[in-house]
Amino acid sequence: MMIATDLNKLAEDLEKQELEAPNAEPPPQVYEQLLAIYLYQNDLCNAKYLWKRIPPNIKSSNPELGHIWAVGQAMWNRDFSAIYRALNAVTWSESIAEIMKLVQDVIRTRAVDLISQAYSSITLDTVSAMTGLSPDICIPACTERGWKFEPDTKMVHPVRQNIEHIGQTSSEDQLYKLTDFVSFLEN
Amino acid sequence: MASALEQFVNTVRTSSSHGNFRELCEYLNKTSDVLVKNAQHLDNVLETLDIQQHSLGILAVLCAKFSGQSQSNAPDNHFTMTQDFVLNCNGEQIRFAPDTFAELCHSLTTYLIEQRQPLKGVVLLQKAISKLRLFDTQLTSIHADLCQLCLLAKCFKPALELLDNDITGICHEVTHNPNGSQFDSKYFLLYYYYGGMIYLAVRNLDRALYFFEVAITTPSHAVSHIMLEGFKKYILVSLLLHGKIQVIPKYASQVVTRFIKPLSQPYYELANAFTSNNTAELNTVLNKHNEVFTRDHNIGLVKQVSSVLYKKNIQRLTKTFLTLSLSDVASRVGLASPAEAECHILQMIEKQQIFATINQKDGMVVFRDEPDKYGGPDVLKGLEDQLAMCMELDKQILMMDEEIQVNPQYVKKSSGLQEEDQPSKSTYAM
Repeated sequence: MMIATDLNKLAEDLEKQELEAPNAEPPPQVYEQLLAIYLYQNDLCNAKYLWKRIPPNIKSSNPELGHIWAVGQAMWNRDFSAIYRALNAVTWSESIAEIMKLVQDVIRTRAVDLISQAYSSITLDTVSAMTGLSPDICIPACTERGWKFEPDTKMVHPVRQNIEHIGQTSSEDQLYKLTDFVSFLEN
Repeated sequence: MASALEQFVNTVRTSSSHGNFRELCEYLNKTSDVLVKNAQHLDNVLETLDIQQHSLGILAVLCAKFSGQSQSNAPDNHFTMTQDFVLNCNGEQIRFAPDTFAELCHSLTTYLIEQRQPLKGVVLLQKAISKLRLFDTQLTSIHADLCQLCLLAKCFKPALELLDNDITGICHEVTHNPNGSQFDSKYFLLYYYYGGMIYLAVRNLDRALYFFEVAITTPSHAVSHIMLEGFKKYILVSLLLHGKIQVIPKYASQVVTRFIKPLSQPYYELANAFTSNNTAELNTVLNKHNEVFTRDHNIGLVKQVSSVLYKKNIQRLTKTFLTLSLSDVASRVGLASPAEAECHILQMIEKQQIFATINQKDGMVVFRDEPDKYGGPDVLKGLEDQLAMCMELDKQILMMDEEIQVNPQYVKKSSGLQEEDQPSKSTYAM
């Protein structure tokens, strides 16, 4: 299983390959993987410009690139149901299948977080559209999270979670910085 | 004819072996005409020179090759030769003729743009910059070339590596100038203009605004087109970022207020419409000056400005109302449907631009107070970073101050003042 740091490293490597390719034409897999990773990182700006700079002949001979970008376009338009449609419309080739799977995972996680942040009540259909899961799967998944479901109105009541970022710094490091500041301010 | 070239080769060889690089540079500056005239023999000349030992000689030949470019479209070896040179030349020798080296890079840039292969030169120019500059935060005129290639290639990461470092020094490129060494202001302005555009492309508005600010506050006596275009973008970015035109710093030169402002009238109208918070008015201005915005290639930014107005208006609603129906939001902000309003609000919640909860059951939205976010490790980290930046800035200023204090010209002037007890009136009559 690939994790985020691995992908970041792979992305750097691919960027380098693109720049150093003879005649600035790397193999199409480089473009495919890089585009998929940008989507995973939610770096839509770089994804868009990568798509724009891929030579047209490579685009036409590798239709998969277009399929990846279809996902990116849907992400750009924040159209969740279109994202899932684009993600599941094709079978991804081996070199990117795993990344595209991760793309779907992060998008779903983001959608769930957003629902819990933004809604006090939401229709089951919207939940289903935003998560790309069928209503039968949504109901147990929601109740599992402690979100109440009203069968007669088909409404879900999400519970807001406070997202907390806990930065980890050692106390020694803190102390070092503090001495630095004090000595600066004193002088 | 051939004898002139022979003499050239001999001079390059003897001067290089004796280490008389300064004189060699002077000689080369005088002989560039001879080289251009004998363009057809230049490849032979190159063969007789060694890339490490005679870097300056080869540099002159390559420059001549570019300036005497053949009109025919036959494939040539300009790129590979320059590539070979930049990668293998002697950095110490190059620094004796920084202007010629930069000129070679400018020529290469123009050449690659004509060939429509901007991406090909990116890595090479990165190398060239690292050969010419003395430290990481020194600006060379090649920086602007790299930014231009990156923009054309739509590949920004290599340029961002440079742009993210704040510049603290400028490479003295034009050394043989009677008034002391100089740097062509065109490349300075281009660097900040292109840099701003690159930051815009990757949606880093803070940095973009800063870059345009540097461009428009550059001291000048005449209107530069680069400054004018930078000024237009400065207005648009500051609307996007702050919702109004940021005050132009006082140290901006007079030309900005006197000439550039009147030339950017449509942009001021846009800003006025924007600050009135009236969508209809903004659209009127948009339609009226559509042609100007399109011609300036700013239409994309202008469209962003108009979409930001919806968001700004929704933000204003949070100050007046606690609860509002989605259809009310839509009608007050000027959106077509409640669904569209919901979409905007959802986006803003995700970006933490507003704090609200949507109730789909009743079609209502509840605006909440901003959660208390002035505690916790995040804030501390932010403070730490800011302080570290201030400390770095302080260090820089002290260093610059020291540099001025030991500057011979400064010492001469200030000690001269002390010697004469009563400074003459002319000292004050500046």
